[in-house]
Amino acid sequence: MGKGAPSASAAGTSRYVLVVAGLVLALALAGLASLALGSVRIPPGQVLDALTGRAGPSPYRTIVLDVRLPRVLLGVVVGAGLAVVGAVLQALVNNRLADPFLLGISSGASAGAVLVLVLGVGGGVTTTIALPGGAFAGALLALVLVYGLARRGGTMTGPRLVLAGVAVSYILSALATLLLVVAGRPEQFQEALYWSLGGLGSARWDTLALPAAVLVLGVGALLALARPLDLLLVGEEGATVLGLDTARFRAAVFVLASLVTAVMVAASGAVGFIGLMAPHAARLAVGAPHRRLLPVAALGGALALVLADLGARTVAAPQDIPVGVLTALTGGPLFLWLMRRRPEGTPL
Amino acid sequence: MTRPRRARALLPALALAPLLAACSAPAEQPSAAKPAPGFPYTVDNCGVKSTYQAPPKRVVTMNQHVTEVMLALGLEKSLVGTAYLDDAVLPAYKKAYDTVPVLAKEYPSKEALLAANPDFVYGGYASAFDAKDGRGRDDLKRSGIGSRLNIEYCPSGSPTLDDLYREVREVGRTFDVPGRAEAWTREARATVTATEKRLKGTPPVSVFVYDSGDKTAFTAGGKGIGNELITRAGGRNVFADLDKSFGDATWEQVVDRRPDVIVIYDYGSTTVEQKKKRLLDDPVLKDVPAIKNRRFAVMPLSDVVLGVRVPAAVDKLAAQLHPAASRPAR
Repeated sequence: MGKGAPSASAAGTSRYVLVVAGLVLALALAGLASLALGSVRIPPGQVLDALTGRAGPSPYRTIVLDVRLPRVLLGVVVGAGLAVVGAVLQALVNNRLADPFLLGISSGASAGAVLVLVLGVGGGVTTTIALPGGAFAGALLALVLVYGLARRGGTMTGPRLVLAGVAVSYILSALATLLLVVAGRPEQFQEALYWSLGGLGSARWDTLALPAAVLVLGVGALLALARPLDLLLVGEEGATVLGLDTARFRAAVFVLASLVTAVMVAASGAVGFIGLMAPHAARLAVGAPHRRLLPVAALGGALALVLADLGARTVAAPQDIPVGVLTALTGGPLFLWLMRRRPEGTPL
Repeated sequence: MTRPRRARALLPALALAPLLAACSAPAEQPSAAKPAPGFPYTVDNCGVKSTYQAPPKRVVTMNQHVTEVMLALGLEKSLVGTAYLDDAVLPAYKKAYDTVPVLAKEYPSKEALLAANPDFVYGGYASAFDAKDGRGRDDLKRSGIGSRLNIEYCPSGSPTLDDLYREVREVGRTFDVPGRAEAWTREARATVTATEKRLKGTPPVSVFVYDSGDKTAFTAGGKGIGNELITRAGGRNVFADLDKSFGDATWEQVVDRRPDVIVIYDYGSTTVEQKKKRLLDDPVLKDVPAIKNRRFAVMPLSDVVLGVRVPAAVDKLAAQLHPAASRPAR
């Protein structure tokens, strides 16, 4: 990573390696804890036996390998994806308050899911395709609306994107509520709540492949764009002077980020706060340049979501708490603490 | 996706809290009238103590199972209105039921309820007396209307067949037809005893009830009449330790508890086939004995609430849980 870097950043590089190693270790431990704990307690030895394939068929093996492992991995994928998208969007609109859901994606996804629920598409309890499909379509609709509104006049500036995103977000969540109140049955409110607050309860091996593939491709592409993203940080004019077509670049990255978010939301509902928190924490640890920021944000987001989900399914077991409630409950105070630690005058 | 039970199961504590203090007569009779034998009759129903000087004459029932209790006791003449069927009343009561005005498809609004001018309201679920809709039991009392809530949804919970017999007996007393209640109970006991005899020596099978749910399983806990029904039918509810009549269980708990048979509760817009498919297609459940051997039983939800269908329902479930032991002996 530090190849060819001036010697002054050698200390920065070793710090970076340390941070990454620490996060990987913490993530592995959190993953193991998530495999052992839950509404059925499984001894750690049995967890290891199941993981290494030494265990014969048993309920414990099924629980570890078919229930909990895909759920932990989905947490890793969604947490990492949201954190990376959050970091990128913060650069894109040059506003540290941006997160994947500021731009209407989450309300679009909830509206889509609610529409599917109310119409009863897909019939009955098998919702592995219809609901995520509806959520994805809703997120795409929000994307198209925000994109169209923000681009009018041929340019796409950060403030315009934020304003369009907020407006579309309000409209779509109002529509979702209207649909629920007019046509929904009371029991559908619970399901709708899940989409607007997020949860990993539907994780299965066959629903994991798509988000995982999208994460790898999307994060790969965004990492490749690390340098132009850094340019955006010097501001609109500076970036243009340095040879970046900001309007086109911004539009392309916005679409890419939104697609990644839409896939994540279709798999897990809209888990809030990860995309806001993880990039900020990562910036404190390794600084703003995106080549180092994005991997650290990804690991941090994954760790945060895996831990939050462990809490969500154990605190009130056997009931699942929407994981977004926990990410906001723990992330909010943490965020305020970070904010207070900054010296007066530095931008958030 | 439909889960009316969830909503209902959440309600009792909320709806009943303000009522515990209530305690005197709903409809005072003028003291000149000579009370009928057996009256005044005082009864404590779910913590609400009421004294009846005479049987109520203008009754509204809400929810199918309590409507059926009234019809089983031949009390259709006392009914001025009814509401909220889960599916359809038993064929035996159909003719009597058709003589009663239906106030609403689900719960009537307070105005629609008062317009029927009832002196007594009999509700099947705690949600029938939803205070925020103006149908709270103390609200009704203030309007001079007595009420009864089906015993299954009293806060104390854990109903058994004895509670069913008590429900029928108390309704019989309230409406001055104790003999009919006695006769019904005798027959019910005979039905249950016959099933018990047939199952004698048959070891119980473990049972998981699937009501609905995708991310978690909505199932029957230990505090509903469903649990008693399973036990009497030669089963053992794997979630008997769940401290509610209905509640959530995780799929990993279902895997861990290895039920031999899955009982599907049938109601609403999701068909039995859709529920079966959801369970059979779930890779997580593939090693559960009931799934491996495709052992399912089906009960309409209207059979598994505290009402007059329970004795026959025990027999019906026993026949599905133990087909070999349940060949009719008569």
